[in-house]
Amino acid sequence: MNVGGAIRALISFLIFVVLHYTLRPLLGWRAPMDFLVLALLLAAVRVRPATAAVIGFVLGLVSDSLAPDALGAGAIAMTVVGFGASYLKAVFFADNLVLNAFFFFLGKWVFDILYFVGEQRVHGVELLQQLLLWSPLSAAVTAAVGVLLLFIMRPLLEPTPA
Amino acid sequence: MHRTLRSNTRFDLIILSSCIVLALAARALPNTMREPVATGMRRTFLAPLVMLQERAERGRQSLLQADAKQSRIDSLSLNSMKAGSLEGENDRLRKLIGLGSRLRWGFIPTEALHGRGVRDETTVILSAGSRAGVSRLSPVIAPEGLVGVVDQVDPTMSHAMLWTHPDFRVSAMSPDGTAFGIAQAHLSGPTGGYLIELRGVPFRATLKPGALIVSSGWGGVWPRGIPIGTVLQEIKTSEGWARTYLLRPAVNPSDVYSVMILRRDRLAKGLDGVWQNVAQVDQATQRIIVSGDSAAKAAALAEAAARRAVIDSMARANGAPPLGAIDSAGAARAVTPRPVPVRRPPVVDTTARQRRDTTPRDTIRRDTIRRDSVRTDTIPYRPGVTR
Repeated sequence: MNVGGAIRALISFLIFVVLHYTLRPLLGWRAPMDFLVLALLLAAVRVRPATAAVIGFVLGLVSDSLAPDALGAGAIAMTVVGFGASYLKAVFFADNLVLNAFFFFLGKWVFDILYFVGEQRVHGVELLQQLLLWSPLSAAVTAAVGVLLLFIMRPLLEPTPA
Repeated sequence: MHRTLRSNTRFDLIILSSCIVLALAARALPNTMREPVATGMRRTFLAPLVMLQERAERGRQSLLQADAKQSRIDSLSLNSMKAGSLEGENDRLRKLIGLGSRLRWGFIPTEALHGRGVRDETTVILSAGSRAGVSRLSPVIAPEGLVGVVDQVDPTMSHAMLWTHPDFRVSAMSPDGTAFGIAQAHLSGPTGGYLIELRGVPFRATLKPGALIVSSGWGGVWPRGIPIGTVLQEIKTSEGWARTYLLRPAVNPSDVYSVMILRRDRLAKGLDGVWQNVAQVDQATQRIIVSGDSAAKAAALAEAAARRAVIDSMARANGAPPLGAIDSAGAARAVTPRPVPVRRPPVVDTTARQRRDTTPRDTIRRDTIRRDSVRTDTIPYRPGVTR
């Protein structure tokens, strides 16, 4: 990835982060989209797994800082998701929107599973309900929004032709 | 190649393990340490993001509450509009109660029902009829003054002709009885129907703007002393033998909703004291204006006299005749030629000297009294004296 591509990727990353703290609370849905996971996944496929793990760790701490009771849970989940996404990028790095949507869906769901299990705030039926109902819904919304943003931001995200 | 790849993988795993260990350490922190760490991050590099989130959540709250706020504002606006009309209605009713307490008896409170548009307001339906004691030609009044007269009576309601009606007439006068005339609606001009004109006022009687006009009691329909309006100005008409004045009506027909009908037996007793306050206030106002004018005139005269005395004193101090003397002398010179001086032998006449000494001295003495007060100013200007 050349310098131009890195800058464009960084801008996209920042746009996703800003959207997470503006559009998401503005909409206030019960099953919200997660722009931080989208930003992490889009960054992870462009860097090596170690870097993706560090990005995930930092993003997780950022999200945890607004919920101090769960400090660390988001960092663990983001680290694992970032590392996994970067490790599996050969599988998912394809110019296929459906595959990208599945990639986003899976990333968000895995993140939620790790987060809620690590957070240990909800238990039993409520945890199952969260993981099997609200998390997939949130993951689906995230995947849909991610695909939409990929479509909109295609000029910014496509690699520069040699 | 394979070794490099394995080395990279090991490095990635080491980094991953480190991150996970750090995250677990953060997760294992006691609550007393989590909060400072999170707060430190929120207050430093996460501050812009926190601010963005706060604004977004505030925007969401505003959006969610917009409808409720709007409906609350609408309700408040509606209530404030109602409050204004209620205040006006309360004020009218309070005045009506005051009028009722002053009348004491012989009146029928009733509602005036407007049937047509505002500009066509010449008649109203009253919600009281002959069963309540209303009879034809009963005066209809409001706390402010004259409204109209009942012209048709039914058992349960009656029909009244307002003062705006072209056929309406009432004998009117000024409260002091110096001017009499016939009041009727002023139908010509752009303000037609909204003002009253007082016709047939004797030419010798003049009314100042603002003067109150009341019913005179002549004619048998209207008792004496009901306010009709106040004088706005005199208007020119073809009648050369009498004056016509334009009046601002005491009662606006479109604002009449609650009125009183005077019964015939009440008319015979008169309405002394009912609107006496209004007339007294009007007369007091006129007296204040007149006394103010007199005081101002007296002050102006006194000031002019003082100025003249000072000027005369200065003139005398400078050796010139007083201003009045100069004028008269000048006038005399202008009219008559200067006489040739005749040398007379010096004759000693003590009586004449006494007369000369005494007679003018009296006239001058008044001035000298004032001259003392200005002597300090006049001395430096005395001829032959250097400053």
